Amino acid sequence: MSRTLRVVAYSAANAAADMRALYTWRIWLFGWLGRMLAQAVFFALLGRSAAGSPSHTEYLAVGSCLMSSVIECMAVISSTTWERAAGTLEFLAAVPSRPVWVFFGRSLQWPASASVTTVVSMFTVGPLFGVAWRPSQVPALVGLIVLTSLSTYCFGLLLAALVLNANGARNLVANGVSLTMMIICGVQIPVERWPVIVRVVALALPPTWTLRAVRAVLANDGTVALAAAGAATALGVGWLVAADVMFTMFLNRSRRTGRTDHF
Amino acid sequence: MTRQFWAAITLQLRLSAATPDSYLVCVTTPLLTTFIVTVDRWAGHQTQIGNAVVAPTLIALWMLALSVAGNAITEDRLIGTLEAQLGAPASLAVTLFGRMCSVSLIGLIAFAEAWTAVSLLGGTGWMPVPHPVVLICCLVTSSLAAAGTATLLSPLYVLLPSARVLQNTLSYPLYLLGGLAVPLTMFPWWLRTVTDLIFLTWSADLMRASLAPAAVTDAPWRLLAIVALGAAGFLIGTVLMRRMIGRACREGTVVLT
Repeated sequence: MSRTLRVVAYSAANAAADMRALYTWRIWLFGWLGRMLAQAVFFALLGRSAAGSPSHTEYLAVGSCLMSSVIECMAVISSTTWERAAGTLEFLAAVPSRPVWVFFGRSLQWPASASVTTVVSMFTVGPLFGVAWRPSQVPALVGLIVLTSLSTYCFGLLLAALVLNANGARNLVANGVSLTMMIICGVQIPVERWPVIVRVVALALPPTWTLRAVRAVLANDGTVALAAAGAATALGVGWLVAADVMFTMFLNRSRRTGRTDHF
Repeated sequence: MTRQFWAAITLQLRLSAATPDSYLVCVTTPLLTTFIVTVDRWAGHQTQIGNAVVAPTLIALWMLALSVAGNAITEDRLIGTLEAQLGAPASLAVTLFGRMCSVSLIGLIAFAEAWTAVSLLGGTGWMPVPHPVVLICCLVTSSLAAAGTATLLSPLYVLLPSARVLQNTLSYPLYLLGGLAVPLTMFPWWLRTVTDLIFLTWSADLMRASLAPAAVTDAPWRLLAIVALGAAGFLIGTVLMRRMIGRACREGTVVLT
């Protein structure tokens, strides 16, 4: 366990270095955070002018704010493929540790940043659209935002494993999947409104459950919130295990074929 | 200059054909349209049907222009063709403008996608286009304006450490200020003085008007405003680019800047 943690910690140091190279705190604050807040406002406004009623508007605002986390965490798909450009895949093929832990730590900057942007979004954009948070709801809300970021990140890791060998498709997959989740996970309309097949896909995605939990917290329904948070946690772990299987499978294949730069 | 412009268009079309990211908007546009139409249908009316075409189309145009503006110089520098271009007598700004105009063609495909998606999802047959001439003129001028405005940003891409940061930052804030989410009549008056300087504001208004049954007023003037804002962006961008290149050539840092 301690060895695994050490691998994640070293890899997370890379994540932190990547973040520092990409952003200064000013660029993050006025560039990135501003952009994410604008995005939440954009989708909430789109809904308000269509939906009209205050309850619909509130529904959309909560969904749009939580999606900030989902969209940012999908960046794991791109940053995982950066390893190919950095030429480190060959070294990973030679080390004994499981590749999933390396990749888990390597992009942790996204769920960390996503959690902060989403918390700010919930408490600034939300109230603009009539969402009123009570102080007693704040700890649960913050916890659920972190859970959304981490569980979505684990799902993103699986996609990253699948896209690792199709480097050019990384942005297509990240953007396509983010928008699809926005449509089907209950951001703008309840999941129950979709046909069964879409509902089944939505229920396998962590944001569907964390959104349900956040809405339950807002309605002071602790039981539903806990059950939904439990489902999101289980799904996050499940997707992480799936990512582990895929990374290991690709690694073993590359070792067999001798193409260690191509997992 | 015309030959150079067409050569730049052809070059970028060939480069784009080999880059999956060029088709990103073809994936995101129908999804954005679906998002807007779904909200509308849940609410039980069709107030946003026009916007379900307008917003995704203009977002696609702007995303593509930003992407080429960001990648063109960075990639030219990486593969070592930037020095040769600077040594040539042709203007780099014209080459860049040509390259950005080419991707606008993909942006027009985005309009076709958004229109088809709205027609299929709306449940009321093919969406009518009451003012097709205005719509076509608006699409063409908006494409040119997107390319012109993005030329203004090219020098910034060279100065900043990451093109991606600027691309991300100039997306949703600009869509909001350009009135792509809601018409700007909902904004306070002081903000509207700023938004009038963004071509997206005029493009979104005119495109919405071209899809609505009511007669379109002042169409030539509104088209002129789109072209003028795009041209202003292009001219300022050209001047900034010359200064930046002049400095890089004097200091011998073309490859390093």
